[in-house]
Amino acid sequence: MAETTEIPTHDVIIVGAGPAALSAAIYTTREDIDTLLFERGVPGGLAAITDWVDNYPGFPDGVAGLELANNLQKQAERFGAVIELGEVTKLHDEGDWKRLETTSGDFKAKAVLIATGSDYKKIGVPGEKEYYARGVHYCATCDGAFYRDKRLVVVGGGNSAVQEAIFLTRFASHIDLLVRSTIKASDVLQHELQKYIDSGKITVHLGTTTDEIYGEAGAVTKVIGTQNGKKVEFETDGVFVFVGLDPNSGFVRDQLELDELGLIKADDDLMTNIKGVFIAGDIRHGATMQIASAAGEGATAALKIREFLEGHPHPIQN
Amino acid sequence: MVKNITIFTTTTCAYCPMVKKYLGAKGLAYEEVNLDENPQRQQEALALSGALTVPVTVVTKQDDTREVVVGFNLAKLAPAVA
Repeated sequence: MAETTEIPTHDVIIVGAGPAALSAAIYTTREDIDTLLFERGVPGGLAAITDWVDNYPGFPDGVAGLELANNLQKQAERFGAVIELGEVTKLHDEGDWKRLETTSGDFKAKAVLIATGSDYKKIGVPGEKEYYARGVHYCATCDGAFYRDKRLVVVGGGNSAVQEAIFLTRFASHIDLLVRSTIKASDVLQHELQKYIDSGKITVHLGTTTDEIYGEAGAVTKVIGTQNGKKVEFETDGVFVFVGLDPNSGFVRDQLELDELGLIKADDDLMTNIKGVFIAGDIRHGATMQIASAAGEGATAALKIREFLEGHPHPIQN
Repeated sequence: MVKNITIFTTTTCAYCPMVKKYLGAKGLAYEEVNLDENPQRQQEALALSGALTVPVTVVTKQDDTREVVVGFNLAKLAPAVA
């Protein structure tokens, strides 16, 4: 199977180790397909830094994101998946083999699955970069504990912003939730949010943009925004930003077909415009950005990779 | 040579177990300071790291010099504990 070369070779290399990647790895390794994963952050991806997950099937009372991530990793490793901590920086299509440049050297594989997911987007306002990790944060489970009995601003109106604002109430004295238009979070989360609004712990400011994060003496002191055309200010000790996701497709930007958002396009077999390079999860054009969807796509991609490696499609079995 | 290692963590931090796992795999002992259980030590972590985040890993060498690694940063952590 392996070429006689100094570059380590595998049947499949999976870029990323989030839910899509780990789900794929469970399937490939159970089929004895030699599988190596590369992860530059934490296995489990964004799921690992999500406080609580209520909509992943099989957990009637919900599950901590970190626990779900750990279990996915354990399951993949149980069947032989190996997770290398490092970053893939370039993909080379060498015909039957794909060569990956990584921070751990070069690796080759017959098939590659890109499941790099996305990272939390920045707002892109003055003060955001200057106060990063010293008043501006993107991970509530990581950094919330530093704001016990302090005032916080949370920016965003989707599921992540509402979920993490609720999580942060265990630390903060009060939270101002700045929503650019209206809240887009699920009905269940909005219902949960209402309890904190009613108690006065969270105040929601609809139709409010975040224009600047201001600080003095090295610390964030307020957020300046616009509401109904008027300037508004919110005194705060810290800002947590959840305004959407940026796809991690930069390393293949010049080779794969991307949409206008940077998401990678694929055919019905989850194969990209490069034969033998597949995608799954949040990185995919048309993805629904849910952990359950990512896990499903990972499994599908693994089966498509198996067909590709074997050179023929498998009949559907009842 | 490493004299001692202290890791500042929180209970919900996903990157903190990664640092502990890495050090454990290397056979390196460490003291863990959980800031949820010891909030009075948050200022100490901030003073060492300059950031309101965890994990913060403080590596003290035999000559008492210190290296501080913020986050799960293998590129910095690996040489610090070598």
